[in-house]
Amino acid sequence: MGLGAYIARRLLLFIPVLIGVTILIFLISMSFTPEQRAVLYARSPKQLRSLRQLAQKYHLYDPIHIQYINWLNNVLHGNLGWSITANMPVSQAIIEFFPATLELVLYSAPFIYIVGTRLGIISAVKRDTAIDHGTRVLAIIGWALPTFWSAILLLSVFYGHLDLFPPGRLGEAATRYVQSPKFTRYTGLNTIDALLNGEIWIFLDALRHLVLPVTNLVIVTSALIMRVMRSSMLETLSKAYITMARAKGLDEKEVINKHARRNALIPVITVTGSLFATMICGLVVTESVFNYMGIGYWAAKAAVCLDIAAILGFSLFVAIVFVVTNLIVDVLYAFLDPRIRLG
Amino acid sequence: MAQILYTFTLLKNKRVNSKHIGKIREIRMIWKSKSAITKMQALAIVIIIVVAAIAAYYLTRPTPTLIKNPDTIITTVYGPPSTLDPAFAYDGIVQIMNVYETLIFFDKEHIDRFRPVLATEVPTIENGLISPDGLTYIFPIRKGVKFHNGNPLTPEDVEYSFERMMVCDPDGGPVWMLLQPLLDRYCTRDENGNIAVSAEEIDKAVESNATHVIFHLKKPYPAFLQILSLSVGVILDKEWCIEQGCWPGTWNNWTEYNNPSTPPLDTKMMGTGPFKFEKWDRSAGEFIIVRNEDYWGEPAKVKRVVWKFIPEWSTKIMMFLKGDIDIIADVPKAYIQQLEGVEGIVCFKDLPLLAIITMVFNFNISSTSPYIGSGKLDGEGIPPNFFADKYVRLGFAYSFPYEEYIQEAYLGEAKRIATCIPDNIPFYNPEQEMYSLNLTKAEECFRKAFNGELWEKGFKVTVPYGIGMDYEEETRIALEMLAENLREVNPKFQLIIQGVELTTYEAQLYGEDPSPVPLNAAAMWWADFADPDNFFSGFMGSAGMYSWNMYFSTPYIDELLANGSSTLDPEVRREVYYELQRIYHDEVLGIPLVQLIGRWYQRDWIKGWYFRPVWEEVVLYSELEKGY
Repeated sequence: MGLGAYIARRLLLFIPVLIGVTILIFLISMSFTPEQRAVLYARSPKQLRSLRQLAQKYHLYDPIHIQYINWLNNVLHGNLGWSITANMPVSQAIIEFFPATLELVLYSAPFIYIVGTRLGIISAVKRDTAIDHGTRVLAIIGWALPTFWSAILLLSVFYGHLDLFPPGRLGEAATRYVQSPKFTRYTGLNTIDALLNGEIWIFLDALRHLVLPVTNLVIVTSALIMRVMRSSMLETLSKAYITMARAKGLDEKEVINKHARRNALIPVITVTGSLFATMICGLVVTESVFNYMGIGYWAAKAAVCLDIAAILGFSLFVAIVFVVTNLIVDVLYAFLDPRIRLG
Repeated sequence: MAQILYTFTLLKNKRVNSKHIGKIREIRMIWKSKSAITKMQALAIVIIIVVAAIAAYYLTRPTPTLIKNPDTIITTVYGPPSTLDPAFAYDGIVQIMNVYETLIFFDKEHIDRFRPVLATEVPTIENGLISPDGLTYIFPIRKGVKFHNGNPLTPEDVEYSFERMMVCDPDGGPVWMLLQPLLDRYCTRDENGNIAVSAEEIDKAVESNATHVIFHLKKPYPAFLQILSLSVGVILDKEWCIEQGCWPGTWNNWTEYNNPSTPPLDTKMMGTGPFKFEKWDRSAGEFIIVRNEDYWGEPAKVKRVVWKFIPEWSTKIMMFLKGDIDIIADVPKAYIQQLEGVEGIVCFKDLPLLAIITMVFNFNISSTSPYIGSGKLDGEGIPPNFFADKYVRLGFAYSFPYEEYIQEAYLGEAKRIATCIPDNIPFYNPEQEMYSLNLTKAEECFRKAFNGELWEKGFKVTVPYGIGMDYEEETRIALEMLAENLREVNPKFQLIIQGVELTTYEAQLYGEDPSPVPLNAAAMWWADFADPDNFFSGFMGSAGMYSWNMYFSTPYIDELLANGSSTLDPEVRREVYYELQRIYHDEVLGIPLVQLIGRWYQRDWIKGWYFRPVWEEVVLYSELEKGY
């Protein structure tokens, strides 16, 4: 089977996945009474008196299958519904909130990957030495740190005391400029749009605002990759072909970097893929503390408020992200290890 | 990297010869022989240099002034608006009130004095603009005012604005405040959702001619001028509204525009005010308005106001401390210490808010309630009519440690109340008795309850509170204190406290009839307008938010409420509201907990703020200045 056919087949399988996911969410949401779901539409606590009228108005008393079919019908007509929590159509909310998260992930993912794999290799090569123990302890500390705690700590040192890296996505002047007609939005990613507009100072400002959230993500997430890399590397290093490579007198660096590392990367790629997908679907804590409003912040708010349309739309988005990432990971396998054949 | 640096140094000193080239080669060899780890180190160095360069760039930039963002006020008060359509907006109207204008508005901090805005005079009986029977109000409309799109303001726009409000009247919206005085109804629909008013009624309620707008009230309404000062009284541009898909101003199909499911003006505004709506960037959590340079009155002092909606309090406080935010208003108790005595920050304390919290007894608990145990008076539950026994209510009222609660839950920053109104509302009776903690009296009352049966058998009741609700911690503390004292009175009295998921809790409390919640532990009310009717009808009326499914309202109470809200005679009103306060206390309809006291935090470079008890969050930013 060719690569194209393989991808097409995987994408086709995607449709039942989507239907399954949405039915599941619908079923869960229906465990709440119509009045409970109507709370979302009360724009003030003072409107709670009208819960019944609100439930009636938004057809929350209709049977569940009718509500699902209505929703599905709208989706097929390109309408994902209205998100009360975002005050805009769900599709627009995804488009508006996603770039912030994507930017954060694009900048932090390479660092997480590099730091994680590097530490993993060092740890495996220097197994049971002080370096190994040190790196592992560091990784465990990073992994165990509550994200909000390390985020607040970073913020209070580098913003509160040193005034180096403020929260938010841009400074006041840059925000005003970006919102003015002089600036054209292409991607919603501040750094890229700034370069496309030729505004280096906005690029630098955006970068400055990225430093802390990226650092925080590297601290708290690299450990996972490091641990997978270490164990995979240890296993590879005990393989016969590594002994063979050493026996034929290859330089140790060559053995590790050329023979062992590449083979040890397969499980790491799997983990990185799902880690990347998880991150791209939102980093609620990091986004909230650094006031870097992304899709995770919105989705969390929608979930708390039982904003069903938003949750369903977001789930579709998550499903798409995971299917695409898994596809990429599978294709990467074949690239890393020519013995793996797709299909 | 080392090679580059070495070469660079040599080139700079212009002393390159074969010896140096040899050296460079040597370095290159070393470089090549190094592992990738060294490259990683090199990468790290590059990153550090870039970061340091950025930091240096920002740190070495000259600071133009000590005041950050001198022409912009950055505020966080309060969360994002739920909608910008004044027919739907209930809370979160500050943005609406800074872009749109009303006919009249509160005169500074006074809640009973007004100044003309889009009207040129405030109507009174003395100046003849209010008829002696209190049923007709006439407003001369200001000339030469323009909407932000350039359209001139006409009396027709004013008439349209009020009629559009009533035509729209969404479920649970604020329009009832206009419907009450103008149509003597709460809603344009009946209980089944069918239209219950005629086009003629709405049309006749507000009329205009070339210079004036005339309101015809169905009954005298003391709070009418206050209501016209709120967001239900903002003036819209008729032409613009119709372009946005609002009601076209005709009567043949007006019902199609009644109770729409989405607000037509949800994300747009076109007012006459000192600020123009610029942007609501929901993904960045920002709302921006800019000065209207064409304003008919005194222009705003700052060029721009930016609301930042920052979900995380610690981040918000940090930005406030750095001067990146100018106003944060009140802060959670946990952060008070952090802001104490910080230079550059001003805190206005002891601001008496028009807001109260009480506990409300349910006289007729749903028999299927999950909170009443066995549903019988057998020590393992309570009967549905448990709180209908006055001695039970009295016993509860004497078991609550009012003073201690204020100290513990509010750190002393709250006031005791006697009934369900705050002390700065008109017709508050300063002589009204209050219950105090008295366990002996509590015991006496409980012994009499249910003919002594209660004292013998005891009771077990679960009182829920919503997880994540406003004042959740304070509510939990109140219930814990009450439970402890009840246990002390009689060890067989068990009050169990249970946190319930918020939507479940709210639906049970406000959506079910009769409510399964035995005791509403935190019935909280922020005044819509400074009138006792606004509190009493909510807490005591048979249609009140906190009383409709609690079954203690009587026809007598409803009659009093009707009399009090339909006369302008202060003597009659005093009598009515004193009587309602007496009933609330004597009949123990609830346990009055506190009147809220607020704080206001801002940077010291913000000038011109004052505290107005009603709608205190509606700050007119055109009055504020930034500077020393």
